Amino acid sequence: MQQQMVAPMLGKVIQVNFSVGDRVEEDDEAMVIEAMKMETPIFVPCDGVVGQINVKIGDNVEEDDVLAVIETE
Amino acid sequence: MRPYFEKMADFGTALKKGKIKRGEGNESLIKEVEKKIAAAAEGIKQLGLSEEKVNARGEMTIWQRLNYLVEPGTWHPLHTLFNPLDNEEGTTNVVDGIGRISGKWAVIIGFDNKVMAGAWLSGQSENILRVTDMAKRLNVPLVWLVNCSGAKLSEQHKFYANRRGAGTPFYRHAQLNQMGIPVLAAIFGTNPAGGGYQAISPTVLFAHKNCNIAVGGAGIVSGMAPKGGFDTESVEELIENTRKIKSNPPGSARVHYDQTGFFRYIYDKEEEVLDGLKNYMRTIPAYDPEFFRVAAPAEPKFAEDELYTLLPIDQKKVYDFDEVLARLVDSSEHMEFRPDYGPEIYTGLCKVDGYLVACIGNRQGYLGKDYPEYADYPGMGGKLYRQGMLKMNEFVILCARDRIPIIWFQDTSGIDVGDEAEKAELLAIGQSLIYSIESSDVPQMLVLLRKGSAAAHYLMGGPQGNTTNAFSIGTAAIEVYVMHGETAAVAMYARRLIKEKDSQKPLKPVIAKMNKIVSDYKEFSRPQYCAQVGYVDEIVDLGSLRRYMAAFSACVYQNPKSICPQHQMVLPRIIKG
Repeated sequence: MQQQMVAPMLGKVIQVNFSVGDRVEEDDEAMVIEAMKMETPIFVPCDGVVGQINVKIGDNVEEDDVLAVIETE
Repeated sequence: MRPYFEKMADFGTALKKGKIKRGEGNESLIKEVEKKIAAAAEGIKQLGLSEEKVNARGEMTIWQRLNYLVEPGTWHPLHTLFNPLDNEEGTTNVVDGIGRISGKWAVIIGFDNKVMAGAWLSGQSENILRVTDMAKRLNVPLVWLVNCSGAKLSEQHKFYANRRGAGTPFYRHAQLNQMGIPVLAAIFGTNPAGGGYQAISPTVLFAHKNCNIAVGGAGIVSGMAPKGGFDTESVEELIENTRKIKSNPPGSARVHYDQTGFFRYIYDKEEEVLDGLKNYMRTIPAYDPEFFRVAAPAEPKFAEDELYTLLPIDQKKVYDFDEVLARLVDSSEHMEFRPDYGPEIYTGLCKVDGYLVACIGNRQGYLGKDYPEYADYPGMGGKLYRQGMLKMNEFVILCARDRIPIIWFQDTSGIDVGDEAEKAELLAIGQSLIYSIESSDVPQMLVLLRKGSAAAHYLMGGPQGNTTNAFSIGTAAIEVYVMHGETAAVAMYARRLIKEKDSQKPLKPVIAKMNKIVSDYKEFSRPQYCAQVGYVDEIVDLGSLRRYMAAFSACVYQNPKSICPQHQMVLPRIIKG
């Protein structure tokens, strides 16, 4: 099973807290997107392992872009 | 209306593991600021003579008097760090707050007799006026502990005269009396001139046997005829006169009890004077809390201490306002008004200590697709848009109609700007909200959670609403400024930078000026500064916000000037639909 982490809004990625293969828990802070002078944290949607990260620090993202994929057991 | 209020909708969620972990650093940062504020407050408490010295003279200190007078656990200090003119004493020399005496809430204020025997100092009249206005807005008694040696004569030019100068509180006392709000005064020590009027202007006077009150003190009587200066002969004469008068200062307690009868009561011991106040407070009109409560008082379901995790001190970080509010109101229950409209603003009815209160606050973070509806850019909480401002207008109007007091929670960066915002009428809708608040005539309180900025600070129940805002408290995370320092630096120097660049001049001097603006904005917006100049009336620990909300609610419902029967309220029914 996979769960996608999507960007809730357009903005710039200013923080990525995990690497591919890391074990993560639901509600861990995975990334931070900066937009309109505010930092919006993106939380891990479920327990699992990071299967894919599609962005890096400095990337501009659009609303609904898939930022990462979490593999659930 | 029991079905409406006894059990409202639950809100808030338990903190998850990750959130708790992330909040640890935030908690220590906030507590560090709170510790500094507490240390500054303790420093002010210790100013002047020691307790031992004052006691050795047979007097109690202001703090001992307050401890004796106010019911334990009910003291809510205000204006602790207030010293707007930054006088050298470090205090306005009055101590004030809200507290309960003999079961009745009152606004309480007293002179700090440890510092220059309670002299008038610069900034003091502004402090007193805030306090008299608070009694007026809350419609509760004002209790004075008078012990005022009169003006600090070397600095009279800073406070004696002027529209809001040292004489203005006497007019306010007259105003309170005319409104039926009693001003009770316990009188201690020597109170000449200004001190005399501090003592005579209240409603009922309770005197200690050693006190005096007089139009002018011994010093004035002995040296009243100006001769263009002083010489040896004239000061010898002055010495002789002063010796005579010192032993018999004018306006003794005996004169004003036996002869004029100004003093209603006279007591041998200071404690007895305070007991006299307590006895009178028992007779003050007040409704039993049950008269207005809509439900039994209940603690929030979630711990108030979790606010240290939830409210980020880092201004750039977003958070969930609803989670904050759920930790401040009874049972973590509410009735939200128009949840599907104006997503940047929370409006809802909640209970505090069983009393019905209206809450309004800024929601934070991304506001979702297609909002604001009038523009093609994304909306971000903290800012105000058309729907949110219209919603606040409607809510305030309905609260006024139903006589429900309002608690505002502010964390706002301002109102949306640009041509789209202008076309959406935000300028006028904002001022309309000010009009709605001003015409509401319901008591209001502001909790400044984090940012108070731009005109949004004014129109979201800010202290600028002099007749509606009873008092404002702020957290250790607050920042108050017209705009962010960097935004201000850009506004001031962007064109200058272009000019320097085009004429090939060095940019560094301009950059230095811009950075000075940024650091000034930081310095002049921090919590301690905000409290010192009076942007807020007190900085309050996150763990004590609810106490202040409860004290506000209890004051408002103690003896309200106007009532809406609960079964005739329309707002709860509009919410229910």
